[in-house]
Amino acid sequence: MFDLIDRQDVIRMARLARLELSEAEIDQYQQDLAGFVSSGRKLQQVDVSAVEGTSHAVVVTHELRKDEVAESLPQDLVLSTGPDVSDGFFRVPRIVEEQE
Amino acid sequence: MRQLAHMLDTRQATSREIVTRYLEQIAQQEPQLNAFITVDEDGALLQAEEADRRRAEGRALSPWDGIPIAVKDNISTAGLKTTCASRFLENYRPLFDATVVDNLRQAGLPIIGKTNLDEFAMGSSTEYSAYGVTRNPHDLSRVSGGSSGGSAAAVAAGEAPWALGTDTGGSIRQPASFCGVVGLKPTYGAVSRYGVVALAPSLDQVGPVATTVEDTAILFSLIAGPDRRDASSSEARPFQVPRWDEQFVTGLKIGVPEEFFGEGLDQEVEQAVRKCLAELESRGAVLVPISLATNEYAIDTYLTLVTAEASSCLARYDGVRYGTRVAAADSNTMFSKSRAAGFGSEVKRRIMLGTYVLSASHYEAYYEQAQKVRTLIKRDVLASFEEVDVVITPTTPTPAFRIGAKRNPLEMYLSDLFTAMANLSGIPAISVPCGKDSKGLPLGIQIMASHFQEELLFKVAYMVERGCL
Repeated sequence: MFDLIDRQDVIRMARLARLELSEAEIDQYQQDLAGFVSSGRKLQQVDVSAVEGTSHAVVVTHELRKDEVAESLPQDLVLSTGPDVSDGFFRVPRIVEEQE
Repeated sequence: MRQLAHMLDTRQATSREIVTRYLEQIAQQEPQLNAFITVDEDGALLQAEEADRRRAEGRALSPWDGIPIAVKDNISTAGLKTTCASRFLENYRPLFDATVVDNLRQAGLPIIGKTNLDEFAMGSSTEYSAYGVTRNPHDLSRVSGGSSGGSAAAVAAGEAPWALGTDTGGSIRQPASFCGVVGLKPTYGAVSRYGVVALAPSLDQVGPVATTVEDTAILFSLIAGPDRRDASSSEARPFQVPRWDEQFVTGLKIGVPEEFFGEGLDQEVEQAVRKCLAELESRGAVLVPISLATNEYAIDTYLTLVTAEASSCLARYDGVRYGTRVAAADSNTMFSKSRAAGFGSEVKRRIMLGTYVLSASHYEAYYEQAQKVRTLIKRDVLASFEEVDVVITPTTPTPAFRIGAKRNPLEMYLSDLFTAMANLSGIPAISVPCGKDSKGLPLGIQIMASHFQEELLFKVAYMVERGCL
């Protein structure tokens, strides 16, 4: 359950988190993760059998709103914050390969 | 605040004059303090002039119409830069106001500027801000605390009469304590989080910072209430500033948890808090020794949950719709490079820890386990309020530390040792000044009460303010 943290773990986490790391950062976060894992061990000692998890501190009942069309922000305004936009879209690098 | 309101009401001062006075104070103090990321001089003066016109026409929006306020820079202000102290959002101007900002505008409060914080509110000293540390007005070699360090320092230095902060594990109370001002973390759900940039949605709350308990209560009354745009906000519980009654303390049961007075607690902090407790006792309160044994696990539980939630919340910063973008040939590389360029080291660290905690092979051992321990902590806290009315502890184990003193992230996380419990259990908690140590550094006392008992908190805080300074 508690593996030692090796470099490959750190590289895998960085890939999952879409975070490009330098070699020095990989070393640093390897150390930090190791420290974190040891503090996680303390929590493991706590007996939580028959305990349900808490995801929100105060119980709230979610009320569904009516499914009605409401005013939204105008398209050109929303696009105005984008780093690269064209023809009413946010532009991103190609994500689908071109067919030969 | 009542004095400023009275001056405005009786035409002894205009909002423009008041705002100008604070802007002058900002110009004078900022080179040393760095409490603000953005000062909106033009916007604040424009809003002040509008407030003056409203008053002249007898249609003031509230008694506080025209009194300026500072807002933490992770709370969205339409058209005004909201950076979260991150390079990623260096030029981000939100298209809408957070509900709490809307509340301030409804009451006529000009927004004087946006205050500094640790990047995305991750930290306890503002040292993780991409725009430099906020120094403590009481000692410029020390931190102002964090993450709402800019808000606390601005209020303490007279750059703003009051401010909004956010508190996920102590981020309002700890800087309030370090800077000698009052700060409230409201009950979870008491204040809308709509438009507040999320760090950990199950823990985050917006709250007021001010120089007096009464001003803190007034500001809380302006922002509390339900909001249809925040599903976690609670049903209408209108909050009214209480009548201040010094007699009510007679018979008040104050829980004093032994676990908060143990190893690692600064002696002068302990003395100040004990003296204050003795003062309350002499006025008729009953001190009840209690145990909050689960606080031993609060920091580790908090850290597990906050990193998990943060790594998930920060997934939205991909460089597509707003913020930093580094060009690359494919989308995944573009995301990874943009995030690497935009985020600072602490944000990356928490994303890494949170990704680890949530990854398939560790989810049960860490995240689920922490959620269950959270249940035990919440039970422990709520059980104490069956015995006592309020619980009183030091806000922080030490007074403000020196800039650069905490290099190890795990050591920094311990700053929240006494405050994280309130966030984990959702209860309200307030920090009130309780004197200074021999170096002249402010000390703070924390009062906690059960869910939605803010009125009780303010009343006790008022007594502390009267008797313990």
